[in-house]
Order: sequence, then C-alpha cells, then structure tokens
Amino acid sequence: MRAIWAIAGGMIKELIRKKDFYVLLIFMLVILGVLSAQTFFQIEGISRYVRDFGYSMVMLFSFIISITFAAKQIPVEIESRTIYPLLAKPLSRYKIILGKFCGSMAVSVVSFTVFYAIFISFYTAGGEIESLSLLGQGFIFGILFLCMTSAFAIFLSVFMTMAANVTLSFLFYMIIGGFSSSIKEIIFSSKGVVSVLYGILYYLLPHFEFFDLRVRITHAWDPLPAWVVVSVSVYTFVYCFMLLSAADRIFRRKKF
Amino acid sequence: MQKILSAKNLQYTYESGKSRTEALKGVDLSVEDGEIFGFIGPNGAGKTTAIKLLLGILTPEKGELTLFGQSPREPKTRQKVGYMPEIANYYKYLTPVELLKIYGNIFGINKDLLRERVGKLLELVGLENEANRLMRTFSKGMMQKVSFAQALINDPDLLILDEPMGGLDPFSRMKMREVIQDLKLKGKTIFFSSHELSEVELVSDRIGILCKGHLLATGTVNDLLGDKKAGQSLENYFLNIIGEKI
Repeated sequence: MRAIWAIAGGMIKELIRKKDFYVLLIFMLVILGVLSAQTFFQIEGISRYVRDFGYSMVMLFSFIISITFAAKQIPVEIESRTIYPLLAKPLSRYKIILGKFCGSMAVSVVSFTVFYAIFISFYTAGGEIESLSLLGQGFIFGILFLCMTSAFAIFLSVFMTMAANVTLSFLFYMIIGGFSSSIKEIIFSSKGVVSVLYGILYYLLPHFEFFDLRVRITHAWDPLPAWVVVSVSVYTFVYCFMLLSAADRIFRRKKF
Repeated sequence: MQKILSAKNLQYTYESGKSRTEALKGVDLSVEDGEIFGFIGPNGAGKTTAIKLLLGILTPEKGELTLFGQSPREPKTRQKVGYMPEIANYYKYLTPVELLKIYGNIFGINKDLLRERVGKLLELVGLENEANRLMRTFSKGMMQKVSFAQALINDPDLLILDEPMGGLDPFSRMKMREVIQDLKLKGKTIFFSSHELSEVELVSDRIGILCKGHLLATGTVNDLLGDKKAGQSLENYFLNIIGEKI
C-alpha cells in the first residue's frame, strides 16, 4: 500500500505546483461571482441559473482535471523515460496502475472538493438551502463520477497517446452524457441480433450520465432513494475494477 | 565467489510490424559478488536491452537469466537492485528530496532511516544545497547526480549503471569513480555500461564487450590486452575486436 500511495503522493504535488487547477479555480470564482451579483440585484430566477451553471462547472472542471491528469500518466512517463526507474523498483505492474489510479483519484477529489465547496458557498449565500441531503448526494455522485473518469482515462492511457485519450474521453462525456436517452431509444428500437449486440455495447460503454444530478439540484427536487445511490456505487466499483484489470493486463504485456 | 548475475544464451528480438531486430543473440554472462563489471560496446550493440532484461523490464525471448538466483521479473528480486538509467529524467515538479522519498517509500524503507539516507545521499552527490529546489531548474549534470542518488536509495547489493558519467564535469566524474570504488569496498556489486573506455578501464575489475548482440570477449583488462601485443590500449583492442565483427 505504501508504494501505491508514494506514487499517488507525487501526483498531488504535481497538482499543487502546476497552474491548471488554479486557472480553473479563478475562472469558476469569477463566473459564480458575476452570476451571484445578479442575485444581489434581485433578478428573478437567477439563483436557479447559479445552481445550474455552478454545478455544471464543478463537474466539467473536475472532469478536466481528472482526465488530463489520468490521461498523461503512462504516456508521459514513457515519453520522458521516467518509467524506467519506476519499472526497475520492486513494484508489480498492477501496483503502478493502481498507484496512478489512486493518484488521479486523489487529485480529482481534492479539486472537486474545493470546487464543490465554492459552489455550495455561492448556493447557500442567499440563504437558500432546500436540501442538504441532495447536496450530499451530489458530492457522493461527483466522487463516483471521478472514480469512473479516472479509471477510464488510466485504461486508455496504457495504449493511447495523451491527446487521443483526452479527445476520446471528452467525446464519451459529451455524447453519452448528452444523448444517452436518444442512444438508448435507437438501440432498443432495433430488432433481433442487432438489438442484442447494440444492447451489449450500450451496457459496456461508461455511463457518465448516471452521475449527473444537475437537473435535480437546479430545481431542488427531492433526494434520490438510497437504493439508487447504492446501485450507482456498485456500478462504479464494478466498472472501475473491470477497467483497471484490463489496463493491468495490457500494461503487463507492454514492451518498453 | 557467489554469482550475483547469471545469463545463459540470452536472446531478445524487437518486433515492429514485419521488421525484426535481434538485439541479443545468445549472450552468456556472469557477474560475481563484489566485482565491478564494465559493459562496453558501440551504439546499438544491445547494452541497454541487456540492462532492461536484467531489471525485469523486458522478458528474455530465450535463455536463462537470474539475479541473486531469482528471476528479475519478480519484484522482490529488485529489492536489492539499484538502477541509474542512461537518460536522467525525473519529475520536474518535484525536489530531489521528494523524489528520493517517493522511491524510498516504494522500497518500504523506514521513515527515520529514509530521512537520514536522503540527506546523506544528497551530500554524497553534492546536491545538499539544492535539496529543496524544483528539478525543473536543474542542469543535465545535476539531474545525473540525482539519478545516481536515487539508484542508491535502497543501499543496493547490485548497482546497475547505464552510462553513468554522461553529462558530468571532470570533477564530478572523479567523485563518482571514488564513490563506485567505495561501494566496491563495502562489498557491493556494480554492473555498468559505458562508451567511455578510459572510465571503464579505470574502475572495472572485469569487462564485457558486446557488439551486434554478441558478447565478443569478457575478462580483466590485463587478460584481454595480454593476448595482444604489449603496449596496446583498451581502446585499440576494442576497435580491433569490434572492427572484426563489423
């Protein structure tokens, strides 16, 4: 475990010392600040936009940090040749994969927690706290979402360049996240073998939309029932385990 | 003496699409406990491939390879091995202290011992005043020193050095030679590859000459030069033997 955390610890230092996180943080503060100023001027319905836009920004910015950190881990190590001293250490390759995953997760969770805390402080600044448990669920789902995105990008990083990995991850995020219900309709309107194949493909793809509580938070709906939270958590853990196992198998066979 | 490293009929081929490059074509090699073994050869001879096999980074296609009697593919075998790569490139957003601590933690070194060892190693390589400076500001020579320090973090029984003198100024080279000799006195085994024949001649107990994947000769400098006419330098011997192969 110590070796895994040693690898992960280095990545947290990278987050602290690079500008990416601070740029996104300032950008978020400025936008939420401007939007909240509209609330101060009593523009009707603006608080809903603050929630909608704020939550979307939290998820998008955390996603950017998560993907860019996870996607570069293996390719950059290979390109800069820092992988060699690492491979020469008494580490199994699965520990390297796990260390990189834990590092990406740690970096994403730290960023997400900061972004989410800012979002909550803007959200609650006007005294509107409709549902604390819904905000709690938003936090849990955010962490689960980052778990998925980190595992997904780590999996791709063992055989893809960073640029290809980031592009593909964004495509999945945009297409599956945005058009999930339409895709589902198309798939299930087909018949026979094609329907079965489409169905398998549909369930194999990562469903980032499961973690999106934007509409629920924006409109301050009721929190989700516990079984949904448990199901999504189980889905995340199983999916991440599968992705990381596949990444390990590919990484083990990789010739350096 | 006990054999630390043993390779028999070691073969490795790189494949890329339809092209095949035989990097090692049946190398037999052994290194004994406490000796300094210099591994020399022209560019593309297969030295780095051999080192990658020794470190378990690659798996031999054919042949047997053991370190301390075990397969280098086993992580626990590498617990006693230190490695300095040819290109010293490390995480530029870290300081040397942080890098050494990360590597020390990977080896599972006790926290207090690690703190003490990191300080001593940075002093040994002359980086004690740069200990907390980010490595992105380091010169090539300074990175080489960090690389040497990280190779020693686990107090290894076998030290594998790939072109260790590259990028170092004459004073630092002399210092590194002294450190290598000190390590030998402490009973450590050192395997190092280099293009710099004078360096190899100065520090090695035995030498192996590799060319086009074949180990052409092994022995002490005196053994190798003794076969030839008196007064011949290692450089001349090397050029002759390589010339015959090429």
